[in-house]
Amino acid sequence: MIKVNALTKDFPLSRQQRKELNTEDKIARAVDNISFECQPGKVFSLLGPNGAGKTTTLRMLSTIFSPTSGTIEIAGIDAVKYPQEARKKIGFLTGSTGLYARLTPIELINYFASLYGVPKNELESRKKYLFDLLNMHDFLGKRIGKLSTGMKQKVSICRTMIHDPEVVVFDEPTSGLDVITAENIIKLIRDCKDQNKTVIFSSHIMSEVDLLCDDLAIIHKGKIKHEGSMLDFRTNMHESNLTAEFIRIVQS
Amino acid sequence: MIFNIFKKESIDTLRDRRTLMMMLVIPILIFPITLNVFVSISASFQEEAAVKTLKVGIVGDKNSYFAQQLNEIPSEMGAKKLVFFKDSASLMTELKKDSIQLGIITDKQFNEALKAQLPARVTWFFDATEIGINERAEQYMKIIEVKAQQKRYDELELDFRKVTPFQTSYQNIASDKKMVGQIAGGFLPYIFIAFGFIGCMYPAIDLFTGEKERGTIETLLTTPVARWQILFGKMMVVVLSGILASSAALLGLFISIEFLDIVDNQEIMKIIHEVLSPLFIVSMFSLLFPLTIFFAGVMIPIAVYAKTFKEAQSIITPLNIVMVLPAMVGFFPGIELNLITACIPVVNVVLATKELISGTLEFGYLALCFGVMVILALASVFVSYKQFGKETNVVS
Repeated sequence: MIKVNALTKDFPLSRQQRKELNTEDKIARAVDNISFECQPGKVFSLLGPNGAGKTTTLRMLSTIFSPTSGTIEIAGIDAVKYPQEARKKIGFLTGSTGLYARLTPIELINYFASLYGVPKNELESRKKYLFDLLNMHDFLGKRIGKLSTGMKQKVSICRTMIHDPEVVVFDEPTSGLDVITAENIIKLIRDCKDQNKTVIFSSHIMSEVDLLCDDLAIIHKGKIKHEGSMLDFRTNMHESNLTAEFIRIVQS
Repeated sequence: MIFNIFKKESIDTLRDRRTLMMMLVIPILIFPITLNVFVSISASFQEEAAVKTLKVGIVGDKNSYFAQQLNEIPSEMGAKKLVFFKDSASLMTELKKDSIQLGIITDKQFNEALKAQLPARVTWFFDATEIGINERAEQYMKIIEVKAQQKRYDELELDFRKVTPFQTSYQNIASDKKMVGQIAGGFLPYIFIAFGFIGCMYPAIDLFTGEKERGTIETLLTTPVARWQILFGKMMVVVLSGILASSAALLGLFISIEFLDIVDNQEIMKIIHEVLSPLFIVSMFSLLFPLTIFFAGVMIPIAVYAKTFKEAQSIITPLNIVMVLPAMVGFFPGIELNLITACIPVVNVVLATKELISGTLEFGYLALCFGVMVILALASVFVSYKQFGKETNVVS
């Protein structure tokens, strides 16, 4: 479960940045007092246009950034006070995730498993399960730099799931991927839901949200503009389609 | 956890061809190749000079003073051929065309001055860009002058000893080891410092800026590993790379000395072997280790701050000059290790190494240099830690 309460994130602006943004403000508020909850076994979507604050929010959830104020609870752990403990429960995947090109998939998986402290006896069965599931056996010994985009995506998924996280955070996971490669991610999100994991993903593609999510929040300029279930969203639409309704809410 | 990061980063670094080239291949090969080329060229120049017949132009004929004197100089000093000219203008023209290499022009009153036992004026012309010509002219003149001097003593019936008030000799009391230390002592730490810096540079950029640029740092930061552990694991690889690069350079130099016959003098070879004792190597590394940490500590905040590999490289490369330039202090005589120089980073390592080779380093100074470098290394690690802790620096 993820509980977010009154979360705010400010970034200091350098003189150069103030000049570029034509502002006198010494800080930029990327996320402004947002609250929401993500339930286990459900997929929560954070929807918003570019620069809305989605990535900053997810980076705070995965403890890469510390919030300026507010609280975050990850699987019952206060992620602000105990970020290292919280990270053990999180699997994090972004569309822009890079992999170590000079390592092989097996070396990379072993490395991340060691960082997550996965016990050796569990690691072997976990690796077998994921390698079978993602059909990775043929390229486990090849350098990642020589793999296709689809193969790399499978390695990324395997890395994210190697420690069997309770909470999975996806930041625009399908961005830049073709339909077939993106399908691996869609399947992963569905599998996570079936395994009763808490899933949060950010996107600006309405069709993807429609396909996957149970609950959603629309974020714009750091503020939540709408929050509720997907069912309610569809029921109370003012516009004829989901994209038009999303634009209406953002512009309201 | 630090070891896991160190292990992974080491594998990653050793598989990077660019880093491998800068860290091991170039440092090992640079000295054998450059010294081999230098020795070969120098030998070929010497051979060429030995067999080359030097053409000496003289205004006058075979009976002129210098023609007679030069003919008496044995050919063991190098083959020569005399060419006679009617006037100095034609001699100078041929000299400029390089058809002769030396030209001797005497004053009109030269013979009269000699007879009158007065200083007779003679000018030797040569092209100084041609190696060895100047030296040959000086050797010839010295022989001719000694002979002429002796002749005057005889004519004046003077006892040579009575016009020589002093019998002076200059005795060098410095041991051969100290002499080697003065010469090699400036060179050796310079190599260590230059290659140590270059060895740190690529891994520092690759492991920090590169990771940011490739988008891998974000996933690393979501693992339950503290940032300081990530920093330390990576920093250990950067330091190790620097030490490996400088050790590889030393190894290359050692191979050159041992197998390329650069040093002819067996006494000097013996001293070199004595210098390279286990105690020397331990003392050397005790200075080099904190220095390399200091280098890594200076580079890492820059690599963390930079957004692209190119940006990091453009800041760190000029820094190379700032760091390595003080290492040249070892080439200047007269600058010694004292309480002030022992506190100046890089300079202290150079001067301490110089004294270490000469066998004159006092333990107190070694400890002071080590202490200063450790303090600076710790300070630079602290700066790296602060920079790596900044969210905006680590994630773009």
